[in-house]
Amino acid sequence: MHGLFKWSSKWWPGLIPLVVFWIIAAWTSTPPLESDLAARSTAAVKDTLLDKRRIVVDGRDVTFAAEAFSEEGRRGAVGSVEAVPGVRLVNDETRLVPEAKPFVWSAERDVVRVTLGGSSPLPSTKGKLLETARAGLGGVEVVDQMKLSRGAPPRFDNAALLLVDQIGKLKDGKITISDDKVSLSGMARDLGGREAIAAALKNLPEGFSVAANEIKAPPYVFQAYKDPVAVTLTLTGYVPDSNAQAALATAAGRKFFSEKVVDNLKVSIGAPAGFANAVVPALGALSRLSTGTLVVSDREVKLSGDALYDAAAAQIRAGLGKDFPQGWQFKADISVKPPAAPVDATVCQQLLSDLLAKGRIRFESGRATIDPDSAGLLDRLVETALRCPSVNIEIAGHTDGDGEDGFNQALSEKRAQAVVDYLVKAGLPASRFTAIGYGSTQPVASNDTDEGKAQNRRIDFVVR
Amino acid sequence: MAYLVMFHWGWLLASLLLGLAMGWIAVVHRGPSVSKITARWLGGLVAVLVVAALARVIPGRPGYWLDLGLLMFASYLVGCAVGSWLRDRVLSRHARAA
Repeated sequence: MHGLFKWSSKWWPGLIPLVVFWIIAAWTSTPPLESDLAARSTAAVKDTLLDKRRIVVDGRDVTFAAEAFSEEGRRGAVGSVEAVPGVRLVNDETRLVPEAKPFVWSAERDVVRVTLGGSSPLPSTKGKLLETARAGLGGVEVVDQMKLSRGAPPRFDNAALLLVDQIGKLKDGKITISDDKVSLSGMARDLGGREAIAAALKNLPEGFSVAANEIKAPPYVFQAYKDPVAVTLTLTGYVPDSNAQAALATAAGRKFFSEKVVDNLKVSIGAPAGFANAVVPALGALSRLSTGTLVVSDREVKLSGDALYDAAAAQIRAGLGKDFPQGWQFKADISVKPPAAPVDATVCQQLLSDLLAKGRIRFESGRATIDPDSAGLLDRLVETALRCPSVNIEIAGHTDGDGEDGFNQALSEKRAQAVVDYLVKAGLPASRFTAIGYGSTQPVASNDTDEGKAQNRRIDFVVR
Repeated sequence: MAYLVMFHWGWLLASLLLGLAMGWIAVVHRGPSVSKITARWLGGLVAVLVVAALARVIPGRPGYWLDLGLLMFASYLVGCAVGSWLRDRVLSRHARAA
């Protein structure tokens, strides 16, 4: 032992190479040691639920920063890093994820994108919400502005997932969860979307309630366009059901005697009350126009176009609103078509006959009241009569062979007179027209068939 | 500690071998020796450094370098002791034989 002390006083020269070794060892080993410890520490907390984790190694000391979702999770993560072999000290910079009070989450849709914002309880929830939004919205851009917070109400995930599904049914708007209250605002994308969202809200998880549902339905639009060049009437937009669609198409067929009806209507719920009662008379007014557009949006009816003559324009402006159900509004933008060039008597007769060949003036059965469906045809007849101001015209009423001759004679006279009255009301001089009834004495077809009888019940315009 | 030994076994081995060599030479070396006072000062310095290392008062990289240095120094001392003892055994056997 004594020798060891004696010898040890001679050991010092070896310290010089030892110091050189030490410097080289420190120089070369520090970066690999630090990266090895960083990798081990990261692996140690890999499976722990943390946000914003940051691990910095300085020598053997680890600075560990992260946001944990619970106190136990936070302590556990720090313990895991401390237990990593080789780690000397852990600078604990961990904290808990901030608590949101109230806990607010929102999904907002505008024209180009959907933005998910507010708070989300866990990264996995956030991921699921984004994934669901992207899957449900097709190509629409989904922007994530959610931050992680503690304090979500129970069953938040289910509620938020249900609401993310609803965002696709909105054209624009915002859905918000504030603690356990759900608020919705905006405009539904399609008719029926508002109702679908309201139905889905019934499946909200227990504990959640709807504080405000201010989703608006898009306007219920029906449009009709009368094209004088293509001689078509195009119907677009919505109707309440297929019966209403068929009824409208039939009504349009009766009112538009020469136009082909193009039916592009779609059936959808959400029609305002009194839809058919407003649209049918509005179509009647459109039939009196040379060219025109009818737009029904919710309870507002807009009619624009050219009437065939002044009196017709005035009658349409004044008359249509009266036929509408309560609460409906009518806006008319009616101008008058410039009068066509005058024609001589022969052409006049030809034009009148052509019109009457395409359609017949209808009356109520057994009476001399003109069916409103014939207004379009009568206006065309008035327009033609205005083009030949110098000729006198005989309005000849005919009936079919049914019934007594005396009744038929009287009916044909009254019906011819009703037509003359219409022409006079349209502004034509009464002196140019003579109403004559022929009863059933001049049939143009057999009275044995319904078809023949219908042809015999007629009004003829004869230029004298 | 175990981690450091595993990570730096090469350097520790080198220190040990250096110590062995130095210990082997020291027995017959005729050069100057460290005086008792200097040895005491050196011992005190090493003790302070060991305490500092155990208390982990030096942070970051310098702390690591200190740990590494003390380990290598310890390994060197062990090498020296073993080397000197072996040389002494060898010398005394020769003396007896002579």
